[in-house]
Amino acid sequence: MEHPILFISIILEKLGLPIPHGPVGHGLLEQLCEPYMTYTWFVMAFLVVVGKLTLSNIEIMPGKGQNFWELLIGGMHDFFNANMGEELTEKLFPMIATFALYIAVANLIGLIPGFMSPTASINTTLALTIIVWVTHHIIGFRAHGAGYIKHFLGPIPVLIPLMLPIELISNIARLLSLSIRLFGNIMAKETLLGILFMLAGAFFAPLPIMLLGVLVSLVQAMVFVLLTVVYFGQAQEHAH
Amino acid sequence: MAKKLSTEMVSLLGNYGHIGFTFVIAIFLGLGGGIYLDEKFFEGKTSPWFTFIGLAFGIAAGFNSLFQILRTPAATPEDEDEKVD
Repeated sequence: MEHPILFISIILEKLGLPIPHGPVGHGLLEQLCEPYMTYTWFVMAFLVVVGKLTLSNIEIMPGKGQNFWELLIGGMHDFFNANMGEELTEKLFPMIATFALYIAVANLIGLIPGFMSPTASINTTLALTIIVWVTHHIIGFRAHGAGYIKHFLGPIPVLIPLMLPIELISNIARLLSLSIRLFGNIMAKETLLGILFMLAGAFFAPLPIMLLGVLVSLVQAMVFVLLTVVYFGQAQEHAH
Repeated sequence: MAKKLSTEMVSLLGNYGHIGFTFVIAIFLGLGGGIYLDEKFFEGKTSPWFTFIGLAFGIAAGFNSLFQILRTPAATPEDEDEKVD
């Protein structure tokens, strides 16, 4: 859809699998062969293979690969610790770190011709966001029990009829804004690259947008993780 | 120094960059809920009252989420220069 050539789709089509040509496929198999699904699997495989290759023999004196991962994971761990406390970090570090790596790689992969960002589809980002949104309510209920409802009732009992709808609306707005922002930024990048490539690809017109695309991809991945951490921390702390 | 500056920049960007988006979405959620109540639930009998009430709640929710964003601890990164130097 965004890129003229998607090589995984071409390979699958040669293998005889149905590739949807519209935005939404019809059958189950056609939906499984959507570009954002196949490229999601590709990103997952990439992360697993790279992790396996660089971390297969862990040493006390780290080499290049192990050094990179230690820096990255250590930095994320410190950042989560500072923003949502040690207890939550111990529990949820694998989930949020996986989201960070997946989103960063998925955003950046769209810059290579022949690849597509899975996050340029609202289905991927909405799925990620729903997981985060449900998890932050579960954290709240586990931390406060039924008293978690106080988060939505405002400071004084008289104001409950006023504050309850307001708090509910702003809580659901989190769900929408988190998913649509990531989707919108990445889809804009992909569409712009595609259009510029078709208009003036021979004159390197997409080059400056690619430069901006690197920045946008990394910043959006970090923003998603930052907001996830902030929401988890807020659900954990006491009602104001 | 440059790395510190860029991480601070990104955390500020993450915190304040989505104010506008969250604000707009809250308003439209309230408005949409009001319109839904008017048209589908009461089948147009109460129109346009719930639309306006929903709009008011949506705007209030927008300001509420704005204050929530401003109150988050990550929004005020501590000055690490003083600690290090």
